[in-house]
Amino acid sequence: MSFRNYKDKIEEGDTAILYLSNNLYAIDVRPEMKNKKGEIVENVYQTPFGALKVRTLIGANYGSRVELSKGWGHVIQPTPELWSLTLPHRTQIIYTPDISMILLQLDLVPGSIVIEAGTGSGSLTHALIRRVRPHGHVYTFDFHEHRSKVAQEEFQEHGIADFVTAKHRDVLADGFGEELNGKADAVFLDLPSPWIGVPHVLNAIKNQGGRFCSFSPCIEQVQRTCLALQDHGFQEISTMEVLQTEIKITRRTIPVRDLSFLKQKSSVSPVEEKPSSDTNYVVGTWPQSTPGHTGYLTVATLPPPYARSKPKKTTKVENDEKSTENGDKMAVDE
Amino acid sequence: MANEIKIGDYIVIQKHNYKKLHKFNKSDSTINLGKDTINLEGLAGCPYFSVFKLIPKSNKKKREFTVELAEEAVKLTDEIDIKVSGNDNRNILDDGRSQKLSAADIETLKTDSNKASDIVETLISNSNTFHNKTEFSQDKYLRKKEKKYFEYFQVLKPNLRIISEIMYKLEPNKIQNLRIDTLSQIITMVNIHCEGNHLLYDSGSNGLVAAALLSAIGENTTGKLVHMHPGNMSQKQALLAMNFPEEQLARCVSVNVYSALRQFYQGCDTNNSAPQEEKTEGTEETSMKRKHEETSEECPSKKSKQDNENEPSENDNTNVPDPPRENKKPKWHFDNIAASEILQNKMDSLVIACKEDPQNIFNELVSFVKPGRPFVIYYNVAEPLQQLYMQLKMQSNVAALKLTCNWMRNYQVLPDRTHPEVTMNASSGFLLSGYVLK
Repeated sequence: MSFRNYKDKIEEGDTAILYLSNNLYAIDVRPEMKNKKGEIVENVYQTPFGALKVRTLIGANYGSRVELSKGWGHVIQPTPELWSLTLPHRTQIIYTPDISMILLQLDLVPGSIVIEAGTGSGSLTHALIRRVRPHGHVYTFDFHEHRSKVAQEEFQEHGIADFVTAKHRDVLADGFGEELNGKADAVFLDLPSPWIGVPHVLNAIKNQGGRFCSFSPCIEQVQRTCLALQDHGFQEISTMEVLQTEIKITRRTIPVRDLSFLKQKSSVSPVEEKPSSDTNYVVGTWPQSTPGHTGYLTVATLPPPYARSKPKKTTKVENDEKSTENGDKMAVDE
Repeated sequence: MANEIKIGDYIVIQKHNYKKLHKFNKSDSTINLGKDTINLEGLAGCPYFSVFKLIPKSNKKKREFTVELAEEAVKLTDEIDIKVSGNDNRNILDDGRSQKLSAADIETLKTDSNKASDIVETLISNSNTFHNKTEFSQDKYLRKKEKKYFEYFQVLKPNLRIISEIMYKLEPNKIQNLRIDTLSQIITMVNIHCEGNHLLYDSGSNGLVAAALLSAIGENTTGKLVHMHPGNMSQKQALLAMNFPEEQLARCVSVNVYSALRQFYQGCDTNNSAPQEEKTEGTEETSMKRKHEETSEECPSKKSKQDNENEPSENDNTNVPDPPRENKKPKWHFDNIAASEILQNKMDSLVIACKEDPQNIFNELVSFVKPGRPFVIYYNVAEPLQQLYMQLKMQSNVAALKLTCNWMRNYQVLPDRTHPEVTMNASSGFLLSGYVLK
C-alpha cells in the first residue's frame, strides 16, 4: 500500500525498498509467508549481508537503518523510479529516462486521462498513475491475459487501483473500446506495430486535441508510424532518443613527472629518472559499457478537428504494402 | 472556455517550426517574428490551434502584417506540383548562373506577389537546373523556401513541453542549459506528485524548474512548493507563462532564501534591530534595503540573533495591536512566514538548480527533508557535483547516490531519408540524485 501516500512508518502490507551497498531490493512487508509446501512460515528475506526477518521492519521509519547479521542497510519508501529498478520483470520494461520524457512529452498533469498499451510489467503504468492522480485516470491494456491480471492485482496491492483500469484487450485488433471514444488527453503505445493503432488513437483523443507517443525499438516501426500520423492529421511529429549515463566518481592519485630539470646539467649523479611526486583529482569516469539504445520515442499532437490538415496527396506505397491485414481498418477512419 | 484565446493569457505563436512565447496583454498587441511585425488583432476569442494568415498592411517592404483566421496552413509542397525530376546531380554545376532572375527581379517579385507559392513557382520556372534535381533535392528546396516565405502561424497553448523547448532554443544559458530530457528527469527523480511539500532552490532557470514542479503538483491538489531564490525578486517567466490558475500558483511560495531561513531560525525575516521604522517605508524601498543588508551581512552575529529572540516574534503575531502597520507589511513578509511554516513540517523532496557551489546550499537545505525522501541537484558542469559526491559519500547520510548525464538525439523521419538530425544539443548538464537517510 506504500505507493499511494507519503508515509513515515512502515506498515504491514507495504512494499519497502531495501538499499544495501548500491543494490536495491523490493520487500513485501508481511510477517509470514507461504513456503513451497503451502505452509505458513516466518517471512525471512535473504540478503548478501545476511537474513532479514521482515517482521522487524513493521513500525520502523522509512529512511532508517536496518541491522543485518553481516552489515546494515536502509529502508526507503518506494517511488515509481525505485519500483522500475526492483520490479519482477514479466516483459522488457521502460526505464526512468524514457519514462520521464514520455510523461513530459504527453503533457500529463494531475487530472489527465491517459491510455497505455501494452501494460507489460507495469513500470510505466506506476509513473503514469503517480503523475495523473488524484483526479486523472490511466487506462492500460495488454493482449496477454495473465499479464494483465497480474498487473491488476499489483495495482490493488500497491493501493493505487482507484486511479487505473487494467484490461485484457488486443487494442490493435479491437481499438480501445467505445466507452473511451473522445475521452483521452494522451495515448501511449508500446506495441510491435503502433501504426495500426493510430486510427484508434484518433477515436480516443478528446475533441479539443491531445498528445500521442509511441516507443519503438526499430527505425522501420518509426517510419511507418510517422507516415500513419501524418496521414491522420497529426502535427508536431517528432522522433527522438534519450539515453542516460551514470558517471562513476573516484578520487585518483596520479604521478607527476618532472622534466624541466633536464635543461641544465645536474650536480647530483645519477639523476632519478622517475615521477617526482603525486597529485590528486576527483574524476568522473564514463562507463566502459552503457545503454546505447533503448527505443525511439515518436511524439505528435492531434489538433482539434477544425485544425487538422486534410490529406492532399495520399501517401504512397508504404501503407499499401501493409494493407493486406489491416487496410480495411485504416479505411474506416479515413 | 479554457480553450479560447483570452486577453491576458500567455500564448505560443508557431510559424513553421519556430515557436515564440508571447503575453497577449491587449487585443491588438504586436509581436515581432524575425523581421516581421505582426498585429494580433483578431486572435481573442478564437480557439487554440487556430491558424492565421499574415496579411501585409500596406507596403510589403515595411514587413508589417495583420492577421486573418485561415482554414489551414497551405504547404508549398502541396501547392506546387513538380512534374520532372532528375536522377542524380551529375549534370548540375554550381556556377551561379542557373537562376535567370536577377537579385533585383527577385526583390520586385517578393513585393508584388501575394502568395508564397507564386514567388517560389516563378523562381523554379526561371531556374535552369531545378528540373534536373532529384525529387528529394527538390523537396528539400521547397521545404527551405517554405520556411522563408511561410505566411501562416498557429496559436498554441503554452505548457511545460513547449516552454522548455522555446527557452532552451532561444537562450540556453539563461536556463543553465537545462534541456527538456534532463528537466523531465528532475520531476520524476524526486517523485513530485499531487501531494507533499516540495523544496526548490533555484538561482537561474527563469522559473523553468518551478514551473515544472508546480505543473506536476497540479491543479486543485494539496501539494505545496517552497521556491527559494537568492535575489530580490524570484525569476518567474516560465512560471507565469504556464497560465496556472490562481489557486495553483498560490501553492508555490517564492521566497528569498536568506529571509526565509532567517524567519525559520530567528522568527524574524529582516536582520534589523529596529524593524518598526523600516515597516513604514514603501514596499519597494524596504525590499531594496533588505537586499542591501543581506549582501553586507550574510551571517548574522550571535548577538543580533539573541536580540531578535528577545523581541516579540512576528511569526506569532496574527493580531498585533497596531493594524495599520500590519497592512503596510509587504507580501514577501507573509510569504516568508508561510514558507517557514511549511518547512516546520519537513519536506518530501529537495531540488537544487543553482549557479553557486551546490555544497553549502545542499548541506543547509537537506536538514529540512524527511528521511527516506529523494533529492536531486542540477548543475551545468560535472565538477562541483563530483566534489559534493565525494563529500556525501564520506558523510553517508544519503543513499543511492548517482551522478548522471543525458544524451538526446532527434531524428528526421521521411520516406527513404531517415537519419539523425545533423545537429544535436550536446549540453544538458548533470544530475546528482539520491535519497536522504535518517
